[in-house]
Amino acid sequence: MANRASSDRPATVALIGNPNTGKSSLFNALCGGQARVGNYPGVTVEHKTARMSLACSTFKSIELVDLPGTYSLSARSADEAVSVEVLCGEMPTVAKPDAVIVILDATNLERNLYLLSQVLELQIPTLVALNMWDRLEKEGMKLDAQKLSESLGVRVVCTSASKRFGIAEVQSALLEILEQAPGSEKANSTDSRGVLERGALASASFPKAFLESVDELEAWFGAQGCPLERFQIERLLIDDSQAHSYRVIPKRISSEVAQRIATTREHLATQGVSIPLFETRARYGWIKQRVVGVVERQARERRVSTSDRIDRWLTHRWLGLLFFIALMFLIFQSITAFASWPMDGIGFGTQWVGQRVEAMMAPGPLRSLLVDGIIAGVGAVLVFLPQIAILFFFIAVLEDCGYMSRAAFMMDKFMSALGMSGKSFLPLMSSFACAIPGIMATRTIENRRDRMVTMLIAPLMSCSARWPVYVLMVSAFVPKQAVLGGWVSVQGAVLFAMMCVGALVAIPVAWLLKRFVFPGEPSTFIMELSSYKWPSFRVVAMRVWERVLSFIARAGSLIFVTSVLVWAAAYFPGDHSLVDQATAKLEAEQADPNADEAKTQAWTSEINQLKSDLISKSYLGLAGQWIEPIVRPLGWDGKIGVAVLASFPAREVIVATLGTIYSLGGGQDETSQGLAENLRSATWPDGRPVYTLATACSIMVFFALCAQCVSTLVTIRRETNSWRWPIFSFVYMTTLAYLGAWIVYNLMSFWLDP
Amino acid sequence: MALYPTTQAVPVEFLAPETEGVVVDLCGEEKNLHRLEELGIRCGCKIRMLCPGETCLLAIEGKKMCLRLGSTAEILVQPLTP
Ligand SMILES: Nc1nc2c(ncn2[C@@H]2O[C@H](COP(=O)(O)OP(=O)(O)OP(=O)(O)O)[C@@H](O)[C@H]2O)c(=O)[nH]1
Ligand SMILES: [Mg+2]
Repeated sequence: MANRASSDRPATVALIGNPNTGKSSLFNALCGGQARVGNYPGVTVEHKTARMSLACSTFKSIELVDLPGTYSLSARSADEAVSVEVLCGEMPTVAKPDAVIVILDATNLERNLYLLSQVLELQIPTLVALNMWDRLEKEGMKLDAQKLSESLGVRVVCTSASKRFGIAEVQSALLEILEQAPGSEKANSTDSRGVLERGALASASFPKAFLESVDELEAWFGAQGCPLERFQIERLLIDDSQAHSYRVIPKRISSEVAQRIATTREHLATQGVSIPLFETRARYGWIKQRVVGVVERQARERRVSTSDRIDRWLTHRWLGLLFFIALMFLIFQSITAFASWPMDGIGFGTQWVGQRVEAMMAPGPLRSLLVDGIIAGVGAVLVFLPQIAILFFFIAVLEDCGYMSRAAFMMDKFMSALGMSGKSFLPLMSSFACAIPGIMATRTIENRRDRMVTMLIAPLMSCSARWPVYVLMVSAFVPKQAVLGGWVSVQGAVLFAMMCVGALVAIPVAWLLKRFVFPGEPSTFIMELSSYKWPSFRVVAMRVWERVLSFIARAGSLIFVTSVLVWAAAYFPGDHSLVDQATAKLEAEQADPNADEAKTQAWTSEINQLKSDLISKSYLGLAGQWIEPIVRPLGWDGKIGVAVLASFPAREVIVATLGTIYSLGGGQDETSQGLAENLRSATWPDGRPVYTLATACSIMVFFALCAQCVSTLVTIRRETNSWRWPIFSFVYMTTLAYLGAWIVYNLMSFWLDP
Repeated sequence: MALYPTTQAVPVEFLAPETEGVVVDLCGEEKNLHRLEELGIRCGCKIRMLCPGETCLLAIEGKKMCLRLGSTAEILVQPLTP
């Protein structure tokens, strides 16, 4: 690395630290990045790169890399492996770091220094950021940063990343370190770059026999044409053979390496070196020497803190669970309550735009494409923007206040009965927002079998893309009533029930998977709880904003394209000249103030008749006839069947598709009342309404259980490295969905209309 | 407030709520112990029981952590009485 430094390439600076110490907050503060921040361990599971706007004389620019949190460099889970890979320069897309910023939680110095002691062994210029500086005083502690810097031999900067305190100091310290990189002019200056002499490292106090073995192995690897760094060899010797460190060894020598390691370990055992525990002892010994006189804890009388008092309730055996369920229920109730007003606003907005376009253009294919295809389709989905924004507001508040890790603790009791652990709860919870980050978050689960099960059930959690479907069906077919003294809306309760369907079905699925597909020892559970805090406005606003943008982007791309395709399938190959002529006449008549009421009514129904004939003869209509026998048992007609089929790439598409189909197929009258009204007035050929409460519920249950999201399947494929698992999820979820919808439709039809 | 060790060492799960203990020994498979020590659970550290049970909630040197080790490892503590 010594000769890499030059001004024509960017410097890579990695941010590393224990989970939940504020790495992503610091990353955002340093480079205006948009990394996700949340108050529980395991928010970041991927590396994220952004450019810093700092002028550096030795490098072209500075690339900052945010990493997942880890307690040590012997990676046990996939997210920890990402951090180790980046630090060791094994990640193909990231250059080996030219400097690292190690973020320590100042309120938990000793434990955090463990990771620092390992990072220092990598001999990369290091800067220490003592974060959470603002919390020290509250915890009754004092810390002498100057003294710590002297005893560690690296630069130490005090920061409060979330309050943007100490950021300028980090920047200037970082520049100083980078500008003294070896090979640059200032390299000989006396100021430390944060690279310690070998003798000052914690590994210097490892047993002599161990160090000699490392020397031998280092020479041997060199002779094999595969030179490894000392630190990597140490990890090979200390970590067990499942560990990440073994991945750096080329296949050709892997069995020989395994043999050598085994004999070396036997030899060391005879020398009285107890692997792996000597490492922790040596490192903590090193830490103990460095923190002498650095931390001062005010001896104050131990009283029960507010946080303890809250925890006593929130983690109570069953009160805690009750609180969790009540909280979720309240959230769903308030989403339905708060969202209805802005939703109506957006609904009126899209209708207004549609009417303007109709007023400006003569009837014809282009007008139909704009009004029936794009505005009706995309508009039908955009209406749900307020719901998504409010949902993410609540999710962000929950994530940032520190409650999530408590919920995981409570759920562990329940998850352990299924053979899993509370670790699986956080990814599942985040799948309620979207399954993709949920599946990514399973990287934090150490146990591979647990991780697989969690990944396979994550898509059953009710993600936000299902909201439009539920809300559409609920608002159209569930009575708008309030019960229990007006406090609980029936619509909100049905929505909540739909949210639960997937999670409830996931329980037996997880049990079966764990029992028959991934059997094994029950997993253990260790997780740090984050401290409670008030959610930060910036974090919450960023999360909502990011989601709103991505929702609009999806509506503008995927939904837009499918709307156009569905419109084309429903418009062609019929001859629309009759409809267009009749519509033109009708509009001319309507423009006349003394229009004949009876005449316009007759024309309207004639147009509707023509339109529904055309749509039933279109490609879409033909597909509907083909699919109808399959979906009839679920209480659906061909149009629903086609709409559901079109929504396999992404769930929200069904709303757009139904919007287009009913806009093209002719509503009851020309000034349509929106999609919900159109659905209510749709009939079978014999005049019975297509949509009943039973049909609506069967559609909702189908959507609750079905794997209708290509991106989720692609993510599963990426995370498992095989097509087998996405295919498996698709098949099992679609089967479950069909069965579930069938059962619900028949039960409800029987119950409502025996 | 002086703290005197009084009783025999017990597994951490046996600590009564709101009582404290000092870790005196860790037993179990070594790779699991390695992990525990990396997480700061090691001999000499002080543990306060917040919420007992199969999955328990502990304060380890003041930091809250939940823990369910099953049969893979055992943390022995010497209870402290005020
Ligand atoms: N009081 C205080 N809170 C902070 C500080 N820095 C970050 N936080 C909060 O700590 C929590 C965790 O912050 P993140 O930036 O997500 O932490 P992280 O290290 O990236 O976490 P992982 O990605 O999960 O490893 C958030 O709620 C932050 O708002 C700080 O200096 N003081
Ligand atoms: Mg992070």
